[in-house]
Amino acid sequence: MKREALVFDRPETLAATRPIIERGKTKDDIRLMVSSSSGHHHTVFANLVDYLQAGDVLVVNNSATLPASLPAQSKLGEFRLNLSTNYGHGLWLAEPRWSFSESGPLPVQKGDRFSVGNVSGRFIATFPNLPRLWFVQFESAIESIIAQIGEAIRYSYVENRYELSHYQTVFAKIAGSAEMPSAAYPFTDKVVASLKRKGIQIADITLHTGVSSLEVEVDTIEDHALYPEPFCISEKTAQIVNKAKADRQRIIAVGTTVVRSLESAWDSQEVKAVSGFTRLYIHPKIGVNVVDGLITGLHDPVTSHLAMLYTIVGEKRIKEDYQEAVKEGYLWHEFGDSHLILRS
Amino acid sequence: MSNNKLAVITGASKGLGKILAEWLSAQNYDLIITARGADLLAQTASELQTENITIHSLVGDVSDANHRAEIASIVQSYGQLDLLINNASTLGSLPMPTLAEYKIDALKNVFNINVIAPIALVQVLRPYLSNGLVINLSSDAAVGGYASWGGYGASKAALDLASITLANELADENIAVVTVDPGDMRTDMHQDAFPNEDISDRPMPDVTLPFWAWLLGQDRELITGQRFQAQAELWQVQS
Repeated sequence: MKREALVFDRPETLAATRPIIERGKTKDDIRLMVSSSSGHHHTVFANLVDYLQAGDVLVVNNSATLPASLPAQSKLGEFRLNLSTNYGHGLWLAEPRWSFSESGPLPVQKGDRFSVGNVSGRFIATFPNLPRLWFVQFESAIESIIAQIGEAIRYSYVENRYELSHYQTVFAKIAGSAEMPSAAYPFTDKVVASLKRKGIQIADITLHTGVSSLEVEVDTIEDHALYPEPFCISEKTAQIVNKAKADRQRIIAVGTTVVRSLESAWDSQEVKAVSGFTRLYIHPKIGVNVVDGLITGLHDPVTSHLAMLYTIVGEKRIKEDYQEAVKEGYLWHEFGDSHLILRS
Repeated sequence: MSNNKLAVITGASKGLGKILAEWLSAQNYDLIITARGADLLAQTASELQTENITIHSLVGDVSDANHRAEIASIVQSYGQLDLLINNASTLGSLPMPTLAEYKIDALKNVFNINVIAPIALVQVLRPYLSNGLVINLSSDAAVGGYASWGGYGASKAALDLASITLANELADENIAVVTVDPGDMRTDMHQDAFPNEDISDRPMPDVTLPFWAWLLGQDRELITGQRFQAQAELWQVQS
């Protein structure tokens, strides 16, 4: 698929610049666009249950957000180190930036030293074909420093600094994501209760998200480099999903992270319990085998996430959905509006 | 003597071996790097050198017992080896003959370099490998049965089995052994295998770096005895 297939026009003003709670509302007041083969419906997230059926299985990501943006210092002066993925033993993939709003690249050389709090570290190597991301090695434990001086990663479209609690979903249990798995942001206890009352099951997986990916720059989208993410699917969740598939019930992923996890665990017969790192890149040539629908935010133009959406319901439908979203003034980004995409 | 960890990498002057040596040098490992060509090895060593590490370059062929003894003697002076990467290997005769027509002496040479030498290195380095990890580089040819890949492929299949067996045998000594198929990469060896083909669509060997980062971050007792594919969609430890 060509890069141009992922291009669409989105006015910059359609960006959520702060949590909806700061606008005097609740999370489930967030707008929801439901799209299915029969067209679009516009509602609010509190009414999600009306668009789902008894027997549907919603799979959610229970990863909690880390305060992954750290103030760092080196011979270049002060900069921010946004942690992306923990590789263990003090080795992290990270994005050095000038500031929250100002990206890199920083003129960093392999072997250069830096410090975060009282922990020193070194730049080891760039990620293959993603030179803005560096493997960094911390020389002593960084966990308590992250807790003390880390902040939620934010970008220029977010107006202010918000407490980490604004970046946790109702399903958050296991800390490890660099950025909020934001598809579940509009869920409230009330919404969850309404789903359960109707006989909709909720199962969870864990995928620790890395930092946001940037625009696809290569001409052929399949050549775009994605980084791997750690994930885990329990025996219990694998059983729930497999039973639902056998009973011809729908599997609806809450977030692209859940799609990546479930499809990574598909062994051509069923979903396996898995713990590991996934490199899977879902695009139309690969296809999907597990999910029948997706609840997600609105994705930026020319990103690999759009290729995933095209894979689930086709390019034509997503393009129509996004035209509709722009026309109706839906808001993009982590605090933005929601989109339920159903295959049929 | 430094407090750095120590790694041995065979065939380290170029391709994947060099990528691994670069990664470990940046991680402040002291290195013993080996290769047959003196000039390229010296050049690689000078590129890898930093003020934090010691690099020992040994020119030689892994199938030569004297060369292996030289490696062991440096390791002995450290007393502890953290990582042995058996990366050196040969495709054998070029262009690669079918097994039915393979010259037997040439075939023995393939097995000597690709199977016997890694086992022999484990034997001589075993006293220093407690809590260490042995990584043997394999290939999809080990399971493919591709025509004319039989000499190389059979040697890698034998190496895979040797790895799993060593893992079982050495578990009590806390020596972990894994085998890794790195996948197709744009290297001299790959070009030798496809002499008249444009291989520029294959990724550079640094595509495997995230895999090595992941592998070295895993608990040794969870990975020992496993075979991994560095470019697979999923990296997981067997439960």
